[in-house]
Amino acid sequence: MASSLDSQPTANGTFAADPASHIAKKPKILSTITPAEILSEFSHHDPSVTRINNGSFGSCPASVLSAQKQIQLQFLCQPDDFYVNHLQPGILRSRTLIKQFINADHVDEVSIVDNATTAASIFLQQIAWGFAEGRFQKGDAAVMLHYAYGSVKKSMEAHITRAGGHVIEVPLPFPVTSPDEIVQEFRRTLQRGKTGGRRIRFAVIDHVSSMPSVVIPVKELVQICREEGVDQVFVDAAHGIGCVDVDVKEIGADFYTSNLYKWFFCPPSVAFLYCKRSVESSCNLHHPVVSHVYGNGLAIESAWIGNRDYSPQLVVPKAVEFINRFEGGIEGIKKRNHQGVVEMGEMLAKAWGTHLGCPPQMCSSMIMVGLPACLGIWSSEDCLKLRTHLRDKFAVEVPIYYRAPKDGEVGPVTGYARISYQVYNKPEDYFKFRDIINKLVFEGFTCESLSNEKA
Amino acid sequence: MEIKHSLNGEATHRILKRPRVTPRFLSESEIREEFSHHQSGVARINNGSYGSCPGSVLADQRRWQLRFLQQPDDFCFNTLRKGILASRTLIKDLINADHVDEVSLVDNATTAAAIVLQQIGRGFAEGKFQKDDTVLMLHCAFQAVKQSIQAYVTRAGGSAVEVRLPFPVKSEEEIIMEFRKAIEKVKSDGRRIRLAIIDHITSMPSVVIPVRKLVGICREEGVEQVFVDAAHAIGSVKVDVKEIGADFYVSNLHKWFFCPPSVAFLYCKNTNSSSDLHHPVVTHEYGNGLPIESSWIGTRDYSSQLVVPSVLEFVNRFEGGMEGIMKSNHEEVVKMGKMLAEAWGTNLGSPPEMCAGMIMVGLPSRLCITSEEDTVRLRSHLRDCYGVEVPIYYQGVKDGEMGVRDKNGLITGYARISHQVYNKLEDYEKFRDAINQLVEDGKVCKMLLTQ
Repeated sequence: MASSLDSQPTANGTFAADPASHIAKKPKILSTITPAEILSEFSHHDPSVTRINNGSFGSCPASVLSAQKQIQLQFLCQPDDFYVNHLQPGILRSRTLIKQFINADHVDEVSIVDNATTAASIFLQQIAWGFAEGRFQKGDAAVMLHYAYGSVKKSMEAHITRAGGHVIEVPLPFPVTSPDEIVQEFRRTLQRGKTGGRRIRFAVIDHVSSMPSVVIPVKELVQICREEGVDQVFVDAAHGIGCVDVDVKEIGADFYTSNLYKWFFCPPSVAFLYCKRSVESSCNLHHPVVSHVYGNGLAIESAWIGNRDYSPQLVVPKAVEFINRFEGGIEGIKKRNHQGVVEMGEMLAKAWGTHLGCPPQMCSSMIMVGLPACLGIWSSEDCLKLRTHLRDKFAVEVPIYYRAPKDGEVGPVTGYARISYQVYNKPEDYFKFRDIINKLVFEGFTCESLSNEKA
Repeated sequence: MEIKHSLNGEATHRILKRPRVTPRFLSESEIREEFSHHQSGVARINNGSYGSCPGSVLADQRRWQLRFLQQPDDFCFNTLRKGILASRTLIKDLINADHVDEVSLVDNATTAAAIVLQQIGRGFAEGKFQKDDTVLMLHCAFQAVKQSIQAYVTRAGGSAVEVRLPFPVKSEEEIIMEFRKAIEKVKSDGRRIRLAIIDHITSMPSVVIPVRKLVGICREEGVEQVFVDAAHAIGSVKVDVKEIGADFYVSNLHKWFFCPPSVAFLYCKNTNSSSDLHHPVVTHEYGNGLPIESSWIGTRDYSSQLVVPSVLEFVNRFEGGMEGIMKSNHEEVVKMGKMLAEAWGTNLGSPPEMCAGMIMVGLPSRLCITSEEDTVRLRSHLRDCYGVEVPIYYQGVKDGEMGVRDKNGLITGYARISHQVYNKLEDYEKFRDAINQLVEDGKVCKMLLTQ
C-alpha cells in the first residue's frame, strides 16, 4: 500500500519521494497557523473581491495546490511509472483518511468521485436499472426535498421519471423556525406518498441544503424513512464534510456523499461516496464511465475511469495536514466558522432591519440573511441580476435566493443573501457588504433598474 | 485571451483571424526544453498510452487554473463557456465537421464510449431494440470499450459479436474481408446490428484500420449506427469525419495532440438519434444537447479543455504544422521499426502504410513470450532495469496457423514503439541494445526479475 520508492533516487534526481505518502507516514508537529500565514495561503484569491461565497466553489490553500502541482508533474514526468506504482496506493491512502473522518466501518465503503453530482448519477443509475430489470414497478416512488439541488432534480428526471418512477417533492417552509417543521413535513409527505399502496423505493435527503441553505435534521429523517418502509436512503451532503458533523454510522443512511473541495480544502474536484456495506444494493453501484476494472466494486471502478488528472484525489493527506495546523483541527475550524457566520449574519440582519432565514442551530458555516424589501426582488431572475450587479459594480461575491411571498404578506422579505464564513474571511468582508446594501437602499435602488442590463 | 464573435454568433479565436508574423520554427534545444519535465534517462517510446504535453501548453493551462482559483464564480459565469466554445470551434474546423453543435468535449474516449453505449442500452430498456439485437466490435477493441458493452448492452439483453482481425497483417484487404464476413454471419443468423464499433487505430496490436471502407460496408449491410473509436487518431492520422462517414467519432486530444490530461472530442453527426445522447453525469444542463451537458458536469477543473488554442500555436511552430509533425513521426517510427527488426532478426506487425506514429516490432523468439503475464514482466523489467518504457503485446499462435518465425522459433511478442517530436535515435538504440543484452544473457521472460 505504501510507496516503495521513498528512498530511491530517480534517474534525474527529482521526485525521490511520493509527496503524498511522505505526509501520511510522518505527521509533523507544527505550530498553530498564524493570521499572516493564512493570508499567504489564500493569496491567490483576487484581493479586490469580497469573497463571501465559499459554498459554491470552495477554496484551496496554496500548500495543497503546491502538493497537487508536484503530483501532476510526477505524472507528466513518467506517466506509466505513475500509473503502475503510485496512483492506486495514493487513492487508497486518501480513502483511508476519509473513512476515519466520517467514521465508516471499512475503507471498501468509501469511493472517491469528482463531485456530489457524479455521486447522485451513480446512485440514480442503479435505481434506473431496478426499473429496467423489473425489480421496481412503474409508479414506484422516489422522494426528495423541494430544496434539492437543481442538478439532482434533473438527475431524478433523467433516471427515475424516464424509467417510469414517480417523483415526490417534500415542501419545506422558508424561513424555517425549527427542525420540527421539517420533520413534520417530511413524515406527512411520506405517508401521503404511500397512499394507495405505493412503494417508496428511495429518498434523497440533503444534509445542508444549497438554496436556501439550512441544516436538515438528517438523522431524524433517515429514522422516519426506516419507520415508513423506504427501501434506500441517499444523503446528498455536498456541503457536509468540513461544514457539519459527519458520522455516517450515526446518521444511518445507506449512501452519503460530500464534496471535499467545498469545505475540506481540496482542489476541484474531489468528493467521496459512502456506501454502507451491509446494503445489498451497494454492490450494484457502478461508475457510469466503464473501464477494464468494471465489476470490481465502485471504489476500484472510480479509481480508474480512463486517463485523466487524478491529482485532486491524491492530495487529501495534504489537506488534512493543513487542517491540523488550526487549533482544534477540523472541529475547531467548523466551530469558528459557525460562530463567525452567525455573528456576521446577525450583524447584517440588524443593520438592514431584516431577519435570518433560520435559527443559528440550523445553520453551519453559511446563513441566509434577509435583504431589505425595498430592493424590490421579485423573481429568481432579479436575484441573478442583483448578484451580477454586486459582482460587477462592487466586487462582492454572494449568492442571492428568491423566496416567493405568501398571500397577504405585507412588505415581504423576498431576497436572502447566503453568506458563508471560511478561515480566510474577516469581519471587514461583511461590513463592506452591509455598507453596499445600505448605500443601494439609500439611493432608492430597485432590481427593476437592472432590467436592461445583461444578467 | 481575446475571443472574437463572428456574425453568426460563433466564437472564434483570434489566431484564425489575424495571422501574426510567424516566429521561426522551434530548434532542437527548444523542443528539448518544452519536454524537459519528461524524466531524463528514460527512453520514452510509449507516447500512445498517456500522450505528452509541452511546457508552453502546461503554462497556459496553469493560467486558466489560476483564473478559476482567483474568482471561481466570475470564471464559471463569464469565462468558462466561451473558452470551451472556442476549443470546440477549432476542433470542428480541424476535423471537417459541419457544425460546432456536432462537437462535444469529454474527458477521454472511455467516457465517449459510455455515452454512446448508454444510448444503446436505453434502446433495449425502452423496447426500441429486441433481445439479441447485436453490437459488433473488433476483437482487439480497447478493454474499456468491451467492458462498457457488457455493462450497457449485454446486461440489457443485447448481444455482442467480435470480429477477429489477422495479426500480423499484410494488407487492408485482409481486414476488409474479415469484417465483411463477420457482418454477413450475424445477418445470416437473423440478427439486427444496432451498432458497429470500429477502431481507427487499434491499441494493441496497433494497426491503422481502413475505417472509411469499413463504414461504407456497414452502410451497405444495413448496420444502424457506426461509432469510430479513434482514441489515437487526431495528431496521428488525417481526420475528416465527413469523409469517414460515421455517426459517432471520438479521439483523445491528450495522446497525440499535445493537450494535458485529459480531454477528448466526441463528434456526433446531426441525426434524429443524436439528440438522445446524454452525458452520464446529469446536471441542470440536462436536455440542452450533449455539447452543453458535457461543458458543465459539476465543479471540476476544465482547464485541459481550454488550452486547444495554445496547442495550435505550439504545432504551428513546427515546419508543416500538424501535417509536418504527423509525417515526420510516421517516417521516423517506420525507420526505427525497420532498424529494430533488422537488428533482432524479426519482423514488423504491419506494412508501413498501415501504421501512423506507432508500429509493432517483433521481439526475438528466444525471449519466450508465452502469455500476457510474460509481456507485463518484460515491460516492467525494461522499465526498472533498462530505463525503457514500451508496451509489449502477446500474439499467441493458434493450432493450424503457421505463425511468423525468426531463426530460433516462433515470434509471439511485439513491442509497440511510438515516435513523437521529443524522441531521439538514442531512445530506440537503447531499446535495441537492451533486448540484445537479454537475448545474449539467455534470459527468458519467466525468469525476469522486477522491482
